[in-house]
Amino acid sequence: MSKLLNRSLKTFIIYAALVLAGSIPVYYVAINILWKYEQLEHQIILTPEAGREDRLLIVGAVTLLTVLFFALLLTGFILLNRRISQRLWQPFYNSLAKIKNFSLEQNKAIQFDKTEIDEFAQLNQSLDKLITGNIAAYTQQKEFAENASHELQTPLAIVQSKLELLMQSQQLTTAQYNIIEDALKALSRVSRVNKNLLLLTKIENSQYMEKDTIEVQELLANLIPQFETIAAGKQIILTIQVQAAVSINGNRALVEILLNNLITNAIRHSEAGSNVLIELTPNSFIISNPGERSLQTEQLFKRFASATIQQPGTGLGLAIVKQICNRYGWIIQYAFNNGRHVFTLHFVQISF
Amino acid sequence: MKILIIEDEKELASSIGAYLTGEQYLCEYAETFKDALEKLSVYVYDCILLDLMLPGGDGLRLLEEIKYMKVEAGVIIISAKNAVEDKIKGLQIGADDYMAKPFHLSELAARIYSVVRRKQFGNSNIIQQNEIRVDLLAKMVYVNEKEVTLTRKEYDLLLYFISNKNKVISKNALAEHISGDVADMFDNYDFVYAHIKNLKKKLAEAGSGNYLKTLYGSGYKWDI
Repeated sequence: MSKLLNRSLKTFIIYAALVLAGSIPVYYVAINILWKYEQLEHQIILTPEAGREDRLLIVGAVTLLTVLFFALLLTGFILLNRRISQRLWQPFYNSLAKIKNFSLEQNKAIQFDKTEIDEFAQLNQSLDKLITGNIAAYTQQKEFAENASHELQTPLAIVQSKLELLMQSQQLTTAQYNIIEDALKALSRVSRVNKNLLLLTKIENSQYMEKDTIEVQELLANLIPQFETIAAGKQIILTIQVQAAVSINGNRALVEILLNNLITNAIRHSEAGSNVLIELTPNSFIISNPGERSLQTEQLFKRFASATIQQPGTGLGLAIVKQICNRYGWIIQYAFNNGRHVFTLHFVQISF
Repeated sequence: MKILIIEDEKELASSIGAYLTGEQYLCEYAETFKDALEKLSVYVYDCILLDLMLPGGDGLRLLEEIKYMKVEAGVIIISAKNAVEDKIKGLQIGADDYMAKPFHLSELAARIYSVVRRKQFGNSNIIQQNEIRVDLLAKMVYVNEKEVTLTRKEYDLLLYFISNKNKVISKNALAEHISGDVADMFDNYDFVYAHIKNLKKKLAEAGSGNYLKTLYGSGYKWDI
């Protein structure tokens, strides 16, 4: 890749160098012929040594002059080319800088500078149309997700309350009770998906912006007890190894959700009797649990990529993890090592 | 005890009312901001359930009014928004609790019970149910004046049952109650069994009657 301005300049220079290099023998031959003619006309006879000396002198002078003019020409070209092109392409560079800084999430339209050049004006206009359209679509999508989730909460609450009332009926058979319970179970899954969708859109909509300094080992110590009952119920051993105290900057609620989701996944996808290992190193949080085969890495962090009938999650847990990592520039990685699923969360910002 | 349900979704309000009415509560309803204000200025309630999104005014504003009127009742916000800011703001203005829709009716009953007790029985907060006595402040349980040592979760479950007496409670609702937000990420609620089994055993050993019944295989009821 080379810059636009350098590209035209290079061609110019090569062409000029070729012409000038070609001109040296032409000059030489022309001057030689003239000189011979003058010698004949004025009947000057030179000794072979003097003739050779003259030829050398001519060659020297011609080369020197050519190189001198070439240098002059070259500098002129470079300077002129740079000035003209810069002025000519300025609107283009302006627009380029603006697009580079554009991010859809910031929801800010771009104001392009006015330009007198028709092509650039057209370019800016088309870009403007494209970007405005994108922003509108993005906003609409966000609003839709948020509104839809909100609107669903109330009917969900009504259905749940009605089912729980039905449960209070005096003459229920066990079969009827089980039907109600199954319905409630499915309903609670819908509520969960809805809650997580709402959370995702809220993170995308730049909510949860307050930041705190969080001591990860303290947060972990607070979170772990809630998992212990569930882990114990599944006969899963939770091991926590804190190798270093880690202090990070972020929103407390979001970081809690992030860790909760990772821990929940590890416990949920572990067989009875297996162990879930949580490690905290100076720069990372690592959680691993035994598994049979590697998960599909490229699908893992996408929405609804993992939910199957056998594993009734919401399919949003890891998408939320990813989204939170993105906000703070943290990196989440998955690997399958020695029969274990390993999720590593690097708290260090890696600059690109 | 009187409860005012301020909720514009009639169906939800009537479910809540139907669940609470009977044992010890009397429910009244308000559907709008104005309606609620009128009722509050005339009657005295023990607890107010407040939906934040009401026609004719923001629920938080109504909460400010309630506090301004120096209404004694405990206030529980029920909201479809589940926004952190709303929760913080509501609690700051003076709400006693916050619940996000959808919720379990049994959870709501437990919260109402707790709010009402806190408001009304400040210093000597004792629940007596036949031979069982619960000291809410000391978090102690006695059967026939003999102390029963319960774990935190068993104690929570006991209170949950007492505040939902004679109601059928699903395992699901119990799991969410004792494990908070984490429980609803799991589909296996077997861990609830162990706690209930232990609670039952400890109460029985101390000489309490068998109030905690298992129904239909996986439901529970505090039968009294």
